[in-house]
Amino acid sequence: MFELDQRIAEQLTSVTLNSSVQVRCGNSNAFMVTASTIVPLMQMFEMSGVYICASRSATEIIEAFETIGIDVSHIHFLDLVSSGILGGTDSAHPNVSFIDSPIMLESILLRSLYALRISAHDRNFVILDSVNALAIYNEEKMLAEYLHSFINVFRKREVLTVILNVPDQVPPSVLANLDLYCTDLIDRGQVVIH
Amino acid sequence: MVSGTCGSGKTTLAMEFLVRGALSGEACAHFTATEPSVKLLENIRQFAFFNMNMIDDGLINVFDMDVLYSWLGLDKATFDLDDVHALIKAIVDIVNTIGVTRLVVDSVTTLCYKIKSEQLIRDFLFTLGKKLSTLGCTTLLISEITSASENAHWSSFGVEEAIADGIIVMGDVERMGHLLRFLQVVKMRGTAHSRAKHSIELTPLGVMLTPMLKWGAMSDKQSRWGS
Repeated sequence: MFELDQRIAEQLTSVTLNSSVQVRCGNSNAFMVTASTIVPLMQMFEMSGVYICASRSATEIIEAFETIGIDVSHIHFLDLVSSGILGGTDSAHPNVSFIDSPIMLESILLRSLYALRISAHDRNFVILDSVNALAIYNEEKMLAEYLHSFINVFRKREVLTVILNVPDQVPPSVLANLDLYCTDLIDRGQVVIH
Repeated sequence: MVSGTCGSGKTTLAMEFLVRGALSGEACAHFTATEPSVKLLENIRQFAFFNMNMIDDGLINVFDMDVLYSWLGLDKATFDLDDVHALIKAIVDIVNTIGVTRLVVDSVTTLCYKIKSEQLIRDFLFTLGKKLSTLGCTTLLISEITSASENAHWSSFGVEEAIADGIIVMGDVERMGHLLRFLQVVKMRGTAHSRAKHSIELTPLGVMLTPMLKWGAMSDKQSRWGS
């Protein structure tokens, strides 16, 4: 039986649609923390939205959710991983679209906005999984600039942003900027000494 | 004038300009010299806000330049002054007859290749622009360029840009082996506008854009075809 962290659901009751939540997790609890965040958003707050898959392919993430009995068919998945894998863009899921590479940061933003514009839901979130994966491909200053823009674009549109990261593997300046821009912090990460 | 490299989205932008016009009840025309009208009409279906009534009701009109040349007896390799005037008259007559308020010439580069003198190209574009603007018609002149980098010209012949009221440049920025489309409004007379590079995505809802990241606008120190 997969157990969700109920304290995350409690913490999420205080966020609003124009909040930006930094969710810190560790290497071993990443999926549990992600699921504990997404489930209350969908089930308690009846939200839909976009899931940006930079860490793992969309198919892998969808299947992981299905395994624990969570239906994510009304969430749009932007897959940044599979195009970099030969033949990786075959997907049985209609709610998945692909972006060539995590380097195409502006495309990720625009495709998320497009998915939200065609969404039938009024209350939406965008989950970025994860800053660590984007940091592999993108230079520190560019990533910090992007996150600043990313958070503000969605905040202005009243779309909740959830940004996942494993803090001890994120460049310090990016992490410092996240601390500054995000309105809320859910910390299930490892102990970090700045 | 919309200048851009191949695959940068010029024709898509121009088609959206027409479909948006048709959506608000304006009569629109597209003169195509780069691809057959049938193919163009197929591509126009990509827009979620397009419907066939726009064509059935005569709001979107597509003309093949080759057909127009045949009508005018201009099946020749180069145009002289009389030919140029005949062509301008034909385009203006069509615009006048249909009551076109949005026009696209795709591409002015292909068309101007038939005009050998730079002075004649200038006269052609200036006269065409002047006549169309007096008719209350906004025209997009599509210009094909081979580079959209900093040192490049914004048009093929170097004269189009001086005549146009506005210049939109489209191209690609290469970032670690990936091409990101960009759009930049260099000039738009009488309008306060951003002159920054914007990253674009071509979607069924039209061209979507966002300011290009400052740390990523020229991350490879050059745009697609070098500086």
